[in-house]
Amino acid sequence: MEIWFSVAVGVATACGVFLMLRAHTFTLVLGLTLLSYAVNLFLFASGGLTTDSAAILGDKAINSDPLPQALVLTAIVIGFAMTAFACIQAMRARSESGHDHVDGKEQRDISTKTETP
Amino acid sequence: MKLFLLCFLPIIGVIVPILAKGFGRSQIAFFTALLPSVSLALLFSEMFAVFDGAVISHQIAWVSSLGLNLSLRLDGLAFLFATLILGIGLLVILYARYYLSERDNMSRFYSYLILFMAAMLGVVLSGNLIQMWFFWEMTSISSFLLISFWNHKSEARKGARLALTVTGFGGLCLLAGVILIGETVGSYELDVVLNAGDLIRTSSYYPQILILVLLGAFTKSAQFPFHFWLPHAMAAPTPVSAYLHSATMVKAGVFLLARLYPALSGTDMWFVLVTTTGLMTLLYGAYTAVFQHDLKGLLAYSTISHLGLITLLFGLNRDMAAVAAVFHIINHATFKASLFMGAGIIDHESGSRDMRKLNGLYRYMPITATLAMVAAAAMAGVPLLNGFLSKEMFFAEVLEQRTIGAISWLIPVLATVGAALSVAYSLRFIHDVFFNGEPRDLPKTPHEPPRYMRVPVEVLVAICLLVGAFPAFTIGALLNSAGQATINNAVPEFSLAIWHGFNIPLLMSFIAIVGGVLIYMSRKHLFRFQASFQTINASEIFDKVIHQIQCGAQKVIGWIDNGSYQRSAFILAAFALLMLAIPISKISEPLERLAHTNVEIPVIVGCILLILGSIATVLVSHQRIIALAMLSLVGLVVSIAFNYYSAPDLALTQVLVEVVAVILLLLTLYFFPQTTPSSTTGPAGFARDILLASTIGAVIGTVCLLMLTYHSESVSQFYIDNAKTGGGGTNVVNVILVDFRGFDTMGEILVLGIAALGIYKLIARMRLSIRTRDAQGRLWSEDKHPMILSVVSQSLLPLALLISAYIFLRGHNLPGGGFIAGLITAVAMILQYFAHGVSWVIARNKIVYQSLIVSGLMIALLTGMAPLFWGYPFLTTWFDYFTLPVIGKFELTSALVFDLGVYLTVVGSTMLILSNLGKLTTNQRLKVKER
Amino acid sequence: MLLDHLAILPIITPMLLGIVLLFARLHENMNSQRVIAICGQAIGLLIAIVLLRTVIMQGPIVYQLGNWQQPYGIALYVDQVSALLVLLTSLVAFCAQIYSCAGDDKQGIFFHPLMMFQVAGICGAFLTADIFNLFVFFEILLMASYSLMIHGGGKNRVLANSHYLFLNLLGSSIFLIALGTIYAAFGTLSYADLLLKAQNIEGTQLLLAQAGIFLLFVVFALKSAMLPLHLWLAKTYSATSAPVAALFAILTKVGLYCLWRIHGVVFGSGTEPLSAPIMEWLSPLALLTIALAVVGILGSKTLRQLASYLIIASVGSLLLIIAQHNAQASAAGFYYLIHSTLAGCAMFLFAGIVVRLRPKAQDRFVSTRALPSAGLLSFIFLVMAIAMIGLPPLSGFIGKALLLKATFGSSWMMTSWALILLSSLVTLIAASRTTSHLFWKASGDAAETDKVHNLELIPLYVIAFLLLCLVVFANDVEGFTQSAAQQLHQFPLPQMLNLKGGQ
Repeated sequence: MEIWFSVAVGVATACGVFLMLRAHTFTLVLGLTLLSYAVNLFLFASGGLTTDSAAILGDKAINSDPLPQALVLTAIVIGFAMTAFACIQAMRARSESGHDHVDGKEQRDISTKTETP
Repeated sequence: MKLFLLCFLPIIGVIVPILAKGFGRSQIAFFTALLPSVSLALLFSEMFAVFDGAVISHQIAWVSSLGLNLSLRLDGLAFLFATLILGIGLLVILYARYYLSERDNMSRFYSYLILFMAAMLGVVLSGNLIQMWFFWEMTSISSFLLISFWNHKSEARKGARLALTVTGFGGLCLLAGVILIGETVGSYELDVVLNAGDLIRTSSYYPQILILVLLGAFTKSAQFPFHFWLPHAMAAPTPVSAYLHSATMVKAGVFLLARLYPALSGTDMWFVLVTTTGLMTLLYGAYTAVFQHDLKGLLAYSTISHLGLITLLFGLNRDMAAVAAVFHIINHATFKASLFMGAGIIDHESGSRDMRKLNGLYRYMPITATLAMVAAAAMAGVPLLNGFLSKEMFFAEVLEQRTIGAISWLIPVLATVGAALSVAYSLRFIHDVFFNGEPRDLPKTPHEPPRYMRVPVEVLVAICLLVGAFPAFTIGALLNSAGQATINNAVPEFSLAIWHGFNIPLLMSFIAIVGGVLIYMSRKHLFRFQASFQTINASEIFDKVIHQIQCGAQKVIGWIDNGSYQRSAFILAAFALLMLAIPISKISEPLERLAHTNVEIPVIVGCILLILGSIATVLVSHQRIIALAMLSLVGLVVSIAFNYYSAPDLALTQVLVEVVAVILLLLTLYFFPQTTPSSTTGPAGFARDILLASTIGAVIGTVCLLMLTYHSESVSQFYIDNAKTGGGGTNVVNVILVDFRGFDTMGEILVLGIAALGIYKLIARMRLSIRTRDAQGRLWSEDKHPMILSVVSQSLLPLALLISAYIFLRGHNLPGGGFIAGLITAVAMILQYFAHGVSWVIARNKIVYQSLIVSGLMIALLTGMAPLFWGYPFLTTWFDYFTLPVIGKFELTSALVFDLGVYLTVVGSTMLILSNLGKLTTNQRLKVKER
Repeated sequence: MLLDHLAILPIITPMLLGIVLLFARLHENMNSQRVIAICGQAIGLLIAIVLLRTVIMQGPIVYQLGNWQQPYGIALYVDQVSALLVLLTSLVAFCAQIYSCAGDDKQGIFFHPLMMFQVAGICGAFLTADIFNLFVFFEILLMASYSLMIHGGGKNRVLANSHYLFLNLLGSSIFLIALGTIYAAFGTLSYADLLLKAQNIEGTQLLLAQAGIFLLFVVFALKSAMLPLHLWLAKTYSATSAPVAALFAILTKVGLYCLWRIHGVVFGSGTEPLSAPIMEWLSPLALLTIALAVVGILGSKTLRQLASYLIIASVGSLLLIIAQHNAQASAAGFYYLIHSTLAGCAMFLFAGIVVRLRPKAQDRFVSTRALPSAGLLSFIFLVMAIAMIGLPPLSGFIGKALLLKATFGSSWMMTSWALILLSSLVTLIAASRTTSHLFWKASGDAAETDKVHNLELIPLYVIAFLLLCLVVFANDVEGFTQSAAQQLHQFPLPQMLNLKGGQ
């Protein structure tokens, strides 16, 4: 099952990164969210995957690693804060520049563009 | 100690003119002159000791690791230069008093001048190479200030920048050279370096050292091909020129040659570099000087040529030549300073420096004329004047050298040519200016200058005469000690007689004088010949070049840094991929071994969903609303995955964050076009991005698989063991969050809080066009707040609050906790906004979300700080069990309070963000009063 | 009592003050905000000084948060290096705060609290000894910087922020992936434990670890604006308001510090350092960075752009030092770091004044009507230019000489020397050009409308004075940086790991 998990993480990462490479802020936000899902899964996996042994002290023996869970939780929260900020930043940028291109100007292929901002 | 006074009094003197600002011009000049005179007196008090060959030195440790000490060292050479600097400096101060006009800011001028004087003094008195460099650069800076004194004039600005750039370049080379010397010798102290000549000459760095040091010296003393800055430095007020170009600035270069002569000279490389440079400079300067129409221009080029002469002498690798060089340094300083001052007087009293206008001034200012003529004669090397003596020595030395074998005769011949040219331009200076008919349309009728303006010239000319007439008596001892210090050895026998009998040097002088006269006679033809070349203006060329470079640089920078986010992002991702790929590519295990066999249908289904969801998100990303749906599907799968892999806290959090995030994105989307405009990236760009992204995905996937297979023993067992006993909770994850690693959580909620503030900042200034129709132009639904929703949500709110309270309280022991509870509350409250609209809520809900955040953060922080007062570290938790009747045994823990802080912050932040975002569409929208 | 908790104070004091400043009644009243903010920074400065003094007197401090022993709890680790950087941070923040009170802080809300949080974040990054906690503090300082970036608004600023924000979000994701990999490979997060485990890791786990370490390198490279990840810096720094840019002068140093500490020591110790392969890349990258900065310095069109590229140049030099990977070089590096940070801060503050006084031309290199009190300003600029170029009598020249000495005999010596000196030369050219354009070439007299505000000048005086002190007391400073470098390169493992928590 690790294979499947890894493939899923890989694909999600790829999609997220791809969206993060686009030029429109809203797409970037989508990409950011997707990427952070992937990253959280990745971070989560760093402690190994175990089924039905939640890190609650009780009768059952715990063989899952609670630390990555805590880290992921922190990561999720921070990721949420960042996503929120990114959304509003995107709106603000749009309201300043009139459209939602990240550089504020519709531009052709970056490799052919040469003037400084 | 005396030495330090001598060196640092002028430095203090820099502020004197500024302090004396209030007084009259003469007083300012007087006060300014005080400190330098004192140090001159101090200097002379050491005179006899120095003449006896003593080396007075004094050190104070400064930066040991750098080998930089405050170290002063007074030997013959230093004494000679110090005398020149201070003596001529004083004369210049007196002269400038009369030269500067009422409009000029005198105290500023004087403080620059003194700064420069102090710097020069520092250079010559330094006993430590780095310290010498220190003052060396100070001279560059102060000369920059002096040359640009009239900075309203364009040529002054240009000249100053040119001089600074060239000498600054030299200075940096010198620094490198000096450090190389220091690293080779192991010390920067002059005493050590001067005696480590062989070590340096044999070291592998010698070529670099020599070239770097010479670059420093040549740029400073305007040697060909670095001479071009000097004529443009003439834009400075004449007193400055008189000082910089006779006794100080340019002499610093030759001083360096003299100073390091024992350490660096004696090799063929030295001979070739120094001699050729000197010779070329000598000839070039002399030749160009002849054709100058500007009085100061002529003097400038003659300075260049005389410096060439001195350099040439140092290059000969002969001790006697070095002595001759020192002698010529003295003589040139005296006559050139007086000539500059004379030129200044002429300029000052006749309003022009153009030799085509200035003629027959003798009748108008006979005394000045006489003085100038004597000085010029000295420059030409006429017998009975000091110039003659050093010139004779020069001839004798060039005759003696045999280094370049059969063609050695070339040097004397060229030297004679140079001498002839110098005679020619001296002659021109005398004849054109003081005789040769009547002055043509001068701005004002020339007349003698004020009495005291002439005094400095008189003094200097007197010296020329005295030295010329009684050399041995006047200059012998000084020259002897200076020469000795220069060559770091006993000076060879030499006689300072005027008459050595008929010998080749005398003949050469004769030829030179006759030749010079002839050249001057035939000047008409020469001028015509010269006119056929177009004159080049170095400073304009320099400006052009610099401008070209800057334009080029701008292009390059504009091309590299075009401000495109996509480029930055691509580079970052690619760089990351590269870094990741390097080690991963080294892993040898075949991947199929990593594949664990057991197949679990739910996992496969989940993964397939996740994959499809992600891909779909990309594919439909231009249909934003659909993309959002797909995205939330992915999020859902992720939370299920967390739950499946025994992380209930994560699952809960993920789901709730999911909800809030989607609401947020929907709200955002309301203000955005519903579709992404057709791609701005060309197909090539697309291909590139897809390639990069998929490769990254593949690598990350691999790493993930590797992690799952090879993850090592972690520290986690400790948490499991201590959660209950040490943390007082059974939900290990939560205990880690609020206790073991509470500091992370502290930071995390701070981030959330800051985000809320930042978003508030962003929204506060936002100007938006509210759209009333969707993409297809349909109006938004009129039915804003559907009945059912409002009813349900209203009844839901208390329930939700109850649940969140429950989740919150049990958090320490069962899945839940402040964060999750906070999100539940937030979602419930947002529902109210949806159901009833902003104004309805605002009417009923008086909570100021900002203060929620503040109190939340405050509570968390204070809970963290409380233990400090019991002497425990920050965030140390406390818990205990109590039993009350009815309720029974229950636990109190400070972690719970901390968690309360988390809860409040989460609610506050989320609500602050969402409510303000929501309000944007309404009349309740946030407006910040501009303070 | 507080002295036992000295290590945590630089983090929680600004946090506390930031929160206090948010109290509704307070943040209505600008004056009281200013008073609190400046006093707060002063306190921070005081704390930093005491902290540094204690560390020098009594050696490194290990502070175990929540009283949980290493490596299970988070620990702060304060040695002379981190203490020095904390001191620098509070200095820069102090200057920026004072400057902002001249009016920049009124151009938007929450300025002072955000400054506080920014400082807290930076100090935390310098003090923490836990790699995930480092991530958290990175996020704090980033979040604060995003919010400060757009302070004052304006299209230029907001768009620059988009660039900065999304790039760094990508960076944060990379950071998390790196953390995951490192945790999987080592199973721990504390610097000390990582250092310990790094000594005997092998096989696939070693390569896994390296994957994480190299990714981490990318993150820090991005923060420190190393080529080719420098593209965000000039845009961001020249777009934002002066005090913020001045505070940002310390931001790049965070990345550098992490490279120094984590790649240089934590993963850089032992016979076969894990970070060795990547550290070999560092010299060329550093040199390229300087080279680019040289071009940028020549090509910059505005004073702020110039200042940005000066920052990049100093970053390059420091990277070069880090690449040397020995205590002697590091000592030189710290001296240069102090100098360049202060000078960079001053440059941005000064640029702010120019921008304010030239509403139309701003800080572009075009001649306009004379500036009010141009004499004073041109003098101040001269002083700062001297510092930046590395000419005597200001500390720049010692820094430069130390750099040259530090790279003497290294594999890239000739290139390094050439570039270091070249960067000085072009700075000199650019500076003289600036002087001529901004102060000398004036058409018409100054507009008497707006004056130079004293609050704007005080920080510049302070910095100039400090730079002078750096020269006068160069020996003591050098001695200190020597011992700091020694401490940096020998991480006290036993001291950290043998401490037992009270619980």
